[in-house]
This record gives sequence, structure tokens and C-alpha cells, in this order.
Amino acid sequence: MRYLHLVVTTLTGLLLIMGSLGMPATGDPDSPPSSHVSPRYIEQGYKETAVPNMVTFVLADYRSFDTLGEVTVIFTGAMAVLLILRGARSEAEE
Amino acid sequence: MAGLADLIGQFNNVTYVVLMMIGFYAMTGKRNLVKKLVGMNIFQWSIILFVVSLSAKRDATIPIVLEGNNAGALPALEAAQYVNPLPQVLMLTAIVVGVAITGVALALLLRIYKRYGTLEEDQLLERIRLTG
Repeated sequence: MRYLHLVVTTLTGLLLIMGSLGMPATGDPDSPPSSHVSPRYIEQGYKETAVPNMVTFVLADYRSFDTLGEVTVIFTGAMAVLLILRGARSEAEE
Repeated sequence: MAGLADLIGQFNNVTYVVLMMIGFYAMTGKRNLVKKLVGMNIFQWSIILFVVSLSAKRDATIPIVLEGNNAGALPALEAAQYVNPLPQVLMLTAIVVGVAITGVALALLLRIYKRYGTLEEDQLLERIRLTG
């Protein structure tokens, strides 16, 4: 049973490595992630937002609704932690 | 079949697969719930590192506009000059979500430990069967 995990892990790893051989070479400027929409952000983003840091303007300007959702995730997580820990305290008092 | 040169060209992806499988093994093979959680975090970080490595470009710099070259006028930006910022932005979101998940999971583990006095899976199942 113990070795089953190792076998499954090794097989999955080999499969993933075989799959990664089809990836574009590292640092290729024409690779798919760098060639469709990202040149538009790099070339026009500074003109449109006047923010020099590209990660910042994509995060807080173009994708600001995404960031709002991120804040919701953090808020929900904090509420869940608070409620779970408060329940633990009242359980310990019983 | 792939040659050795292909593997060396993908050394970063191979590293992330190894990291990911360490996390996968910890999640499936370990009995301790904290070790499972650490495995989940390793898994998550391997994916984050993988996606950030997709943004790499040869001879490119960090995605912050270099203003010193032509002061006053707006600099003409070339996409090949800067690293792709989009994977970094998306992984920033993933890091935040990961922190929230880890926090909730740790709170749940604390609750489990307070109630059953153990975090080992087999002992936990036994005690749940005994106490209901």
C-alpha cells in the first residue's frame, strides 16, 4: 500500500515530464503566452494608465474587478477562520 | 522518444514537475494532516513557479518602464524588451487565494486537534468511530 503512492507519483511525474517536452523553449519571445495579448499591455499600458509598473497597472487597472473578487476571497477566508476558531473556544468551555 | 537535449531545454519544467510530485506524494502518502497541508502548499507553489517561468523572455528585463532613456516624452515600448507581466499578475491572485486556503485549513486542523487530540489520520478515524 505504501509503495502504491510512490508508483502513482512516479508515473504521473513521468507523464507530466513527457508532456512538458512539447512546451515552447524557455525564454522564447514568440511563445504563445507572450505573443497574443501581452504585447498590447506592454506597449499601450503605460500610455493609458501612466503607471510605470506593468504588474501594478494590469492588477489594479485592467483587472481591478478581478482584484475586487480577490478581496472578497480574503474576506471570506478571514470570516471562516474567525468563526471556526470562535467555535473551538466555546467548545473548550463546555 | 525525446532526447537528452530536449530535457535540458526544459530543465525548469522538469524541476517543477519534481516539486509537484513531492507535494502530490505528501498529500496522498502521508498520514499526518499537517504534512498533507504542507504537501498541498508545495504543489501549489510548483504551479505558481511554473506559470511565472512562462513569462520569461530572452534578453528582457523586469516589467517596469525604463523612463531614464528619454525623459519628458513617453517612451516607445517594445514588447520584446520587457518580460510578460500577465502570468505574474495571475499568480499574484493565486498566491492570495492560496494564503486564504492555508489559513482556513490551519483553523480546521486546530479545531480537529482540540476535539480529538490527534492529527494522525488512522488514530483520528479510530477516535471518530469510538466517540461518534
